Amino acid sequence: MKKVYAKEELCLNCRLCEVHCKTAHSRSKDIIKAYKYEDPVPVSRISVYGDNLGSAAVSCRHCDHPKCVEACITGAMRKDPKTGIVSVNESKCIGCMTCLTVCPFGCIKIEKTAIKCDLCQEDGEPACVKNCPNGALVYLEMGGGKA
Amino acid sequence: MSVNYIPRRFTVVRDRDLCINCGCCVRQCSNECHYFTDDNEKVVVNSDNCVACHRCVDLCPTKALRIEKYVCDYRDNANWTPQYQQEICRQAETGSVLLSAMGTPKDYPIYWDKILLNASQVTNPSIDPLREPMEIRTILGRKPEKISVERKGKSKTDMPPQVILETPIMFSAMSFGSISLNAQKSLAMAAKKLGTLFNTGEGGLHPDLLDYTDCAVVQVASGRFGVHKKYLENSRYIEIKIGQGAKPGIGGHLPGEKVNIEVSNARMIPKGSDAISPAPHHDIYSIEDLRQLIWSLKQATDNKKPVAVKIAAVHNIAAIASGTARAGADIIVIDGFRGGTGAAPTRIRDNVGIPIELALAAADQRLRDESIRSRISLVAAGSFRCSADIVKAIALGADACYCASAPLIAMGCHMCQTCNTGKCNWGIATQRPELTKRLNPEIMHKRVENLVNAWNHEIKEIMGGMGINSVDSLRGNRLMLRGIGLSEKELEILGIKHAGE
Amino acid sequence: MKYIVIGASAAGLACAEEIRKTDKDGSIKVFTNEEYLPYSRPSISYYLKGVVKESNIYLRKPSDYASRNIEIITGSCVNSIDREKKEIKVGRKTFDYDKLCIATGSYPFIPEMGNVRSKENALTFLDLAAVKKVKAKAGKNTRAVVIGAGLIGMKAAEGLSKICKSVEVVELAPRILPSILDEKASEFVKKYIEEKGNIIFHLGNTVVKTKSKGKRVSSVILKNGEELDCDLLILAVGVRPDVKLAEKAGLEVNRGIVTNPETMQTSDKDIYAAGDCALSTDIDKSKKIIALWVNAVKQGKTAGSQMAGGNEKGGITYAINAIDFYGLRIATAGLINAEGSQYKDMVKSDKGSYKRLIFEGNHLVGFVLINSSENAGIYTSMIENKDDISRMGKMIDETASLFLFDKKTREKRLKGEVG
Repeated sequence: MKKVYAKEELCLNCRLCEVHCKTAHSRSKDIIKAYKYEDPVPVSRISVYGDNLGSAAVSCRHCDHPKCVEACITGAMRKDPKTGIVSVNESKCIGCMTCLTVCPFGCIKIEKTAIKCDLCQEDGEPACVKNCPNGALVYLEMGGGKA
Repeated sequence: MSVNYIPRRFTVVRDRDLCINCGCCVRQCSNECHYFTDDNEKVVVNSDNCVACHRCVDLCPTKALRIEKYVCDYRDNANWTPQYQQEICRQAETGSVLLSAMGTPKDYPIYWDKILLNASQVTNPSIDPLREPMEIRTILGRKPEKISVERKGKSKTDMPPQVILETPIMFSAMSFGSISLNAQKSLAMAAKKLGTLFNTGEGGLHPDLLDYTDCAVVQVASGRFGVHKKYLENSRYIEIKIGQGAKPGIGGHLPGEKVNIEVSNARMIPKGSDAISPAPHHDIYSIEDLRQLIWSLKQATDNKKPVAVKIAAVHNIAAIASGTARAGADIIVIDGFRGGTGAAPTRIRDNVGIPIELALAAADQRLRDESIRSRISLVAAGSFRCSADIVKAIALGADACYCASAPLIAMGCHMCQTCNTGKCNWGIATQRPELTKRLNPEIMHKRVENLVNAWNHEIKEIMGGMGINSVDSLRGNRLMLRGIGLSEKELEILGIKHAGE
Repeated sequence: MKYIVIGASAAGLACAEEIRKTDKDGSIKVFTNEEYLPYSRPSISYYLKGVVKESNIYLRKPSDYASRNIEIITGSCVNSIDREKKEIKVGRKTFDYDKLCIATGSYPFIPEMGNVRSKENALTFLDLAAVKKVKAKAGKNTRAVVIGAGLIGMKAAEGLSKICKSVEVVELAPRILPSILDEKASEFVKKYIEEKGNIIFHLGNTVVKTKSKGKRVSSVILKNGEELDCDLLILAVGVRPDVKLAEKAGLEVNRGIVTNPETMQTSDKDIYAAGDCALSTDIDKSKKIIALWVNAVKQGKTAGSQMAGGNEKGGITYAINAIDFYGLRIATAGLINAEGSQYKDMVKSDKGSYKRLIFEGNHLVGFVLINSSENAGIYTSMIENKDDISRMGKMIDETASLFLFDKKTREKRLKGEVG
């Protein structure tokens, strides 16, 4: 399946992926409203770690054998057998953090429920990829994602 | 010293209504203008070190930032302008030579803006470049005195080595060291796609660029950095650098801090050592000496590579060009005084040399007068801002033009003119890894390619308007040019008539 | 092939689903003595609080079982296993199997406290049926007493505190949540809960006697003589692995069912065991029951795969637990109460958070993260992969991220590969 891959050597640590992810997952889809006026404050599904010398944006790997799905105690975390997308059913999720505790990549956040990348589509690619200024995020088929 | 008598130059204005405190500016500014408050809640700014490079402005996701000139009036004085006063204060503080980068910002006449182009009306109709072929292919190199042809049309003459370009636009010399490898790679990739050449400057050829040797010009300069047999062979032509438009008569100085392991390998000098190119070539004191070097380089490459000589546009440029042609050069590059540089003494940059327009016209005329114009190709350099400048240069006699500032701007340069600090936020004029990574050759070479393609289209369109369908028919065709607001003397040197004549 | 799974919670369901991944045709029967399709046991306290509706507590949609051809037989108690005939007895019926998995889980241990079993307001808190009873009994005037401050007891107490007038927790040990927290962390969590949750703790204490009025417990008397009025008594002293079937069938049992940790095979090669009823091998190689969800799923998967001839292998397991109390987020894993000079730890705590990492030599073997659990899975993966942490100097100060690893490992992980 097509996934988002981060290229550390090109990552600027600008974190615009986070900004645009947050916006894409806001109610208004407007950066300023998303950051300043929405309640609850939307959460970015992608996080940049590291510093200016070395950084990378980490988001869900949508593993072939997702540990988060395996570990989910409520059946809220699922991998869609057709699309391969791992997603949270927010009405079932109780925010227990078990998924976060087993995800070996550090891709899951918890607010009221678990929050993670859903491979949102903006003109055919996720918002983070579309808005990366340096091509450090790519959306492609690479056959990875074993885990 | 706590007080330096110099007001800051810019103010960064943050629109609080728009700022989302995402901190992108904080992480992008190598001058450390932006920073978080201690609780990491808010971004604040101290504009003292702002150079107006616009990195923060352009990356800000909400466009909350604006850079203003810091206006702090001095008492009016046409002679003692604020700039001179500030420069004096700076020198009073440091006791050193003022350094600047990129081309001179001074208000000298730009003759391109005083030359108008012709177009066909009624007679000699114009040509539509979208419907009819339009040739901008350019060939550089010595042309034989005469050609003898066999009966079947085959040439019997041994042609000297030629360089075929798909556009009259080439990228001028910028060394790895003065610019980042990523910047150089972007130019190399663009050159390859465009069918033109990039130029290593005198920084040697980084192994990563070995795929691009068929579009490389390798430079031999007074420091001889990175020069070896393979280096010379890995090129389309070899360029001897005598001088640079931005700093005629001056050598180069790459400070040791920019000489990292990669730069040191490419230049074949110890890591961390200053790379100093002497002002003169210590083996060239005459045209005869130059002839020897040209000959040596040709011998070293089996006479397969044309040899170019790059000279700065100075007062007797015509005579120097003539001498250079007679010394055996195949290509003469004339670099006008508005040309860019990674670092030059400010006083030299702003006061030494002459504009490329006048130098080019004078040199071309002299070579024609002496009937040696066809022995060599003339390449003009020294600030071409748009396709019209290129067309005018060709009509004044240039075979091709070297551009550097324009492609750098395409890659993000905002002419902040602080290349010498090594903190280029756009990853161009720096060797700091956290900055050079900002320039992704995969993206940037396309921008450069787009720029040149756009200019190519415009050149064809302008030529079509003139009723000319080949760049060869434009070359030296000064009838296509008219001066506006120029003196008799200027028109005479440019070899053009005044508008209306 | 005929597969039978006894038990339909974490391990049983994981086992059945894993079998189906490998064997597309065999018949899979899952027997459960509960009346419900597989549901989320850890969610029952949320159901009590009203955060989770009953319709959302089920792990799968009924159609999921149909589409995967997994037959869940609810309300059916397996009486015995006949290893010779390879069949099980359910009531009067028998079902034969080629491969069998025992995933019977655990049952609540009820201490002898004056016939407390028979009292209608003395309830356990382990399954949906039990919690439905609790929910029916708890009201805003209820004074609840919970015996046991383990995971179940504490979750019950939290749930009840949202509904009841008062909740008091009695625990024999001097601290709460001893199985998932170290001493300091226990103290930290206790303080927080006392502040936020309005729960009164009686630690280092125990109920020695109950007083009753008719069929109802009216108060409990503690070891120190204190008497607590009580309208609802929750018995959460602990659980015991449900190994009766296995014992009866003559399988090797040592507290839990003895299995080969790689295959989850019991002493009978056609019988497997997984989950709370099976023994696990912890990081320190000790054999113990790790009665936690993630472990049960892992073992269930291993068993399922092995039963169907797949190649999923088990191995060392370790406790891993994530839980919250009144918004306090706790994630723990591995050897958190490890004793011995070979273990070193790093602790960082402030008013709002507590972080402790436990090491053995150059390996991370456990962590306790309270309100500092971002990316805890990275630590978990370090435990699991036995990553060399000697170059990850500032671990305790940093948020866990892929940048703790060297570049090569990080690049692999960014591509989605682990180990």
